Amino acid sequence: MTRRYLVRRLLQVFPICAAILLVGFLLIHLAPGDPVLAVAGDSGDEQYYAEMRERFGLDRPLPVQLGIYAGKVVKGDFGVSYTRGRPAREVIAERVPASLLLATTALVVAVVVGIGFGVVAATRQRGILDVATSTVALGLYAAPVFWVGQLAVLFFALRLDWFPVQGMTSADRSGGGWHHILDVVHHLALPALVLASQEIGAISRLARSGLLDELGRDHIRTARAKGVRERSVLLKHAMRRALLPVVTVIGGRVGYFVSGAVVVEILFAWPGVAQLLVSSVQSRDIPIVLGIFFLVSLIVVIANLLTDLAYVWLDPRIRYR
Amino acid sequence: MLPRGVIRRVVRRPAGAIGLGLTALFALTAAFAPRLAPFDPFSVDGPSLGRPSGRYPMGTDALGRDILSGIIHGARTAILVTGLVAVMVLVLGVLVGTTAGWLGGRIDDVLMRLTELFQVLPRFFLAIVVVALFGPGLNRLILVLGLTSWVLLARVVRAEVLSLREREFVEAASASGASGFRIVVREILPNALPVAVAYLGLVLAQVLLIESSLGFLGLGDPNVISWGAMASNAGQFARVAWWLPVFPGMAVVLAVLGLNLLADAVTDVLSGR
Amino acid sequence: MKTCRRFSTAILVLALIAVGCSDDDDTETATEDTTSTTAAPTRGGTLVVAIDSDPGGLNPAITTSGATHTAAELMYNGLVELDDESEPKGELAESWEVEGEGAVYTFKLRPNVKWHDGRPFTSADVKYSFDEVLLKLHSRTRASVGAALEAIEAPDEATVVFRFKQPYAPFLQQLDVTEAPIIAKHVYEGTDPLTNPANQAPVGTGPFKIAGYTKGSEVRMDRNPDYFKEGLPYLDAVVMRVIAKPETQVSSLEGGEVGWLFDVPGPDIERLKATGNFDTLETAINPGGSSCIMTVSYNLDRPMFKDVRTRRALAQALNREQFFERVIFREGKVAAAPISSGIPFAHADDLTGMPKFDRAAAQRLLDQAGWKREGTATRTSQGVEGVPDGTKLAFEFLSFPTFVQYGELAKAQLAEVGAEVTVRAVEPPVFADTVFTKRAFDTSIISYCNGADPEIGVRRMYVSSSIGPVPFSNASAYRNPEVDALFDEAQATLTKDERSTIYRRIQEAAVRDLPYFWIVETTSTRMFSDKCKGFGPSGHFAETAYCTT
Repeated sequence: MTRRYLVRRLLQVFPICAAILLVGFLLIHLAPGDPVLAVAGDSGDEQYYAEMRERFGLDRPLPVQLGIYAGKVVKGDFGVSYTRGRPAREVIAERVPASLLLATTALVVAVVVGIGFGVVAATRQRGILDVATSTVALGLYAAPVFWVGQLAVLFFALRLDWFPVQGMTSADRSGGGWHHILDVVHHLALPALVLASQEIGAISRLARSGLLDELGRDHIRTARAKGVRERSVLLKHAMRRALLPVVTVIGGRVGYFVSGAVVVEILFAWPGVAQLLVSSVQSRDIPIVLGIFFLVSLIVVIANLLTDLAYVWLDPRIRYR
Repeated sequence: MLPRGVIRRVVRRPAGAIGLGLTALFALTAAFAPRLAPFDPFSVDGPSLGRPSGRYPMGTDALGRDILSGIIHGARTAILVTGLVAVMVLVLGVLVGTTAGWLGGRIDDVLMRLTELFQVLPRFFLAIVVVALFGPGLNRLILVLGLTSWVLLARVVRAEVLSLREREFVEAASASGASGFRIVVREILPNALPVAVAYLGLVLAQVLLIESSLGFLGLGDPNVISWGAMASNAGQFARVAWWLPVFPGMAVVLAVLGLNLLADAVTDVLSGR
Repeated sequence: MKTCRRFSTAILVLALIAVGCSDDDDTETATEDTTSTTAAPTRGGTLVVAIDSDPGGLNPAITTSGATHTAAELMYNGLVELDDESEPKGELAESWEVEGEGAVYTFKLRPNVKWHDGRPFTSADVKYSFDEVLLKLHSRTRASVGAALEAIEAPDEATVVFRFKQPYAPFLQQLDVTEAPIIAKHVYEGTDPLTNPANQAPVGTGPFKIAGYTKGSEVRMDRNPDYFKEGLPYLDAVVMRVIAKPETQVSSLEGGEVGWLFDVPGPDIERLKATGNFDTLETAINPGGSSCIMTVSYNLDRPMFKDVRTRRALAQALNREQFFERVIFREGKVAAAPISSGIPFAHADDLTGMPKFDRAAAQRLLDQAGWKREGTATRTSQGVEGVPDGTKLAFEFLSFPTFVQYGELAKAQLAEVGAEVTVRAVEPPVFADTVFTKRAFDTSIISYCNGADPEIGVRRMYVSSSIGPVPFSNASAYRNPEVDALFDEAQATLTKDERSTIYRRIQEAAVRDLPYFWIVETTSTRMFSDKCKGFGPSGHFAETAYCTT
C-alpha cells in the first residue's frame, strides 16, 4: 500500500463531507413544515413566532444560515436543539453509545455466524448442511428486517418469554455490577440477532461462493496434492482471499446496516439515535436532524475508507493508480 | 437484454429456475391484478380484522379490506416502484459507467468522485428523511431510490467497459474507423448489459426491502396499496390478527428472493461458473 | 374561603365562576381528599410507566410539549389542580379571592412548601415563573393569560395578586400544572430558562423528585418525602420508559415490564381485559386536551365546497358507525352534536339537521348540486358555481399520520358515491402550516378538543375572528355573523340555562351550514396492572396511586 494512495484517499473525505452537509442542509430547509409552529404547539401569536424565529436564526436568508452553520460545524458545533435547548452534539452524543453497542454486537454476530455458515456450506457442498444453511441464509437475506423483528418478538419474546420485549435495561434495577451487565446482554440479544439476520444472509452467501472459488484454484489443488491438512488448506490458503468479497460487502452494506438499525431500534424501543431522529424529524428540530444525518454519512464514509484499506491488505496484488 | 443462451442456462439451474419462476409470478400477478383480485383492495366491505376464511383466504384488515386483494394489487405497486427505479438506475448507471470508462482521464476522475459521493449517501436513511420531511409519495420514493441506487451499476459497467476496450473486436472496430459513440453503442453496451442486468436484480431486491421498511415506519403512501403500507398497519394489530403481518411479509420475501436468485444465477452463468 | 363579589356587568363569565360562587359554604376546597378507595393504600413499590417519546427536557413551564409534560408534571405543581369536573382545587395556593368583577385574583399560598432541594417556596417563585418564563415561553399561557394580564404583585411571601386589564373569568382553569407549573426562582434566575441545566434535573415541589434521566430510555423519579400533601405519594418510585411503538408498549405491559399505559390500541383492550391481569380507566382526557371530537373540516374558500348541498351530501355518505367500530374500536362514541357530550349543558344531541348516513340521499343531493355521475366513475361538475364544467369531484383529505386510518376509511366510503379522495398524512408542523397559515387544503380531519366549556375549545372553531394563522382555530374559515353574535352573547350571559339555549342555537346553525362534520368523540383507555389502584387520569395521575406486590 503506497502512502500516496492512503493520503489521497483520506483527503477525499473532506469534499464528500462538505457535499453531504450541503445536501442535508438544503433538503431539510426546503422541506415543508415550520419548526416554530412545532415548538409553539397549538397556540402562540405572531410575536412569539417572530421571537422564536430570531432565536433559532431562521429569520435570516438561507445562504447566510448555511454560512453560519458551516462555520459552526467546522468547529464541531452543530447548533442548539430547538426543542431541547441543549447543544445538538451533546443530545446526539448521549444516544451514540447505545446505538454503537447494538450495531457492533450485531455486526460481530453477523460476521462470525455468516462466515461460519459459509464455511460449513462450502466444505460440505451439496450436502444437507449446505442446503440447510444456504436456504436459511437466502431466506434471511430476502426478509425485511422489521418483519423478522415482528415475528421474533411474537415468538421468542411473547410466546416463549425468553427475552424482554423492549429497552436496554430492566426498570427494576436491584442488582449492580454483573447483574447490570447480564441484564443489558439479555435485552441486547434479540435486537442484535434480528439486526444481524440480514447480514448473516449476505455474508454467508458470499463466504460460501468465495471459498468455493478459491478451493477450486490451482494453488489449493497443489497444496492438497502436497498433503497439506484440509483444515490448514482452508484457513491458511483459501480463507484470506475468499474473505475479499465479504469485506467489500460488509463495507458496502454499512448504509443498510445503519438503516436496519433504525428499524430495530424503533421496534425494540432501544434508546439509541434512531428514536431521536424520528422524533426530531417530526418536530422539525433541524440541528438534531442535520447532526444525525451528518454523523451517519460520516460513518458510511469511514466504513468505505476502511473497506478500501482492508481490501488492499487482504489482496496485495491489487494496485492503485 | 440477455442473450438467449444465458436464459436457457439460467433455467437449467434449480436456483435460477426458482428465481425466474418467482419473478415471473410476481410480474404476472402485477400485470393481471384487477382480474386476479377477488375484491377492490380499497373496499371496506369485509369484516373488521376478519380471520382467514373461504371468502377472505388471507383475512381482512382493521378497516375490513381484503388482504389477498391487497397483496395482489401490492405487486403492481412493487413493480411500478422497482420498474421506474430500474429505468433510472439503468440510464444513470450505464451512462455514467460508459462515459467514465470510455472517455477516461479527467472526466473519469470527476464522475468517479461523484459516484463516491452517492455511494456514501446512506440510501434508506435518505429515503426516511426525505419521505418524513416531504410526506409520503411514490414519486418521491422512486426519485430518491433511483438517484441513489445507480452507483454500483455505474462501477460495474465502467469496469466492464475498461476491460472490453482492450479486446480485439473493439480494437478492430476502432481500426476500421468507427466513431467512439458507435463503438460504445454497438460493441460495448451489448456486452456490458448482461452484467448490468444481473446487478440490477440485486438493486431492485433492495429497493423492495426499503419500500416495505418505510411502510413499517409509517411512511408509506396511504393512497396506493403497497406491501409496505400493509405492513405498517400490521404491527399494531399483530397480536390480535397474526395474518396482518404474515402475508404481506411473505409476499416481500418471495419477491425479493426471486430477484436475488435470478440475479445470482445470471451472474453465475455469465462468469462461466 | 372563596369570596365572590356580585357581578354587575359580567363580560367574561364562565360556568366555572358561577359554580365557585354557589359553593361558598364549602370550606374544604383546598384540602385533599385522598383516600376514597375501599382498601387502605399501602406504601411502597415502583410503578413503571410507558411513554411515547423521550421528553427531551423536564421543565414544563417552557413548553407545551406533551412529552415533556407527561414526564415532568409529577415533579411540579400549579397554584391549583383541576378535579374530574375541571373544578379548581387549591394546590400551591391554599385559597383565593376574586375581586374587581373578575379582574383581580389574590392567592394565599400554602405555607411550609419546600422545593426538592429544601429551599422554601414563596410568592417570589410564582411571580418569577409567570413574569419570566410562563408568559414568555409557555405558548398557550402566553397567548391566553399573557394577553389579558396587567401585572403580578407579591406583597408578601405568602400572597400573590394578579391584576387583569379587564375581568378575566377562565383564569382559575389555567393555573394547573399543565397550563402554569411553578418553577423555582433560585434555580432559574439570571439564566436562560431554555438552556438551564435544571431542565434535565428538575427541582420542583411535586410528589416525586428526579432520581435519574437516561436520555431516550427512561426518567426515574423517587418519592418526595417532604411532599406538602400529607401522606402522599404512596409509591416509592415512578419510572417512565420511552417506548415509541404502541404494539411494543402493549407487549411490555403483557410481559410485566411496564405497569401503566396512557393509551391502549382498541383491538388489544378486550384481549388484555380477558387475561384478568389488568384494570382500565376510560377518560375523555386525551394528550391534546379533553372532550375531543374528530372533526372533518371543509375548506370553505374552495369553490367546490361553497354549496352546502355538497357538504351535506358528503357528510351523509360517511358511515360514522364504521369509524366508531373500525378506527377507534369503540373507544368513544359517534358524535351526536357539534359540541361534545363532555359539556352536558351545551351538548344538543337531538338536532334534526344532523346528517345521518344515507348513501342514496347523498347521491341524489350530489346530483342536485351539479355533480353528475356516469356509472361508477368519479363525478364531474355541470353548472357548479365557481367550478369549471367537467371538473372531477376529487379532493385531498389531510391528516396527521396518526389519524391516517380516518382518511383511508373516508376514501373508501366516499368512493361509493363517486367522490375521489386522496389521503395525505403530514406531520403536525406541516399540517398546521398547510391548513392554518397557507390554507392550502381541501378537507382535513382534526381532533378538536372542546375542553370543559365551549369558550375554551368550541368558540375558536366557529367565530370569524379566529380565521387565521393560529393553529387549530377556525379551519374551515366559517363566517356567519349570526354565529359570531351568538358567541358574544353566550360569553356575556350568566346562567347555565340561558347559555345552554344560546349554544343550542349555535349548533342549529352549525348543522344547517355544515362547515364541519363531526365524526366521533374519542376517549383514551389507560390500562394498568391490577395490582395497582388509586390512579387519576392525567397530570398527577400517580400521586395517589399505590400497588401491592
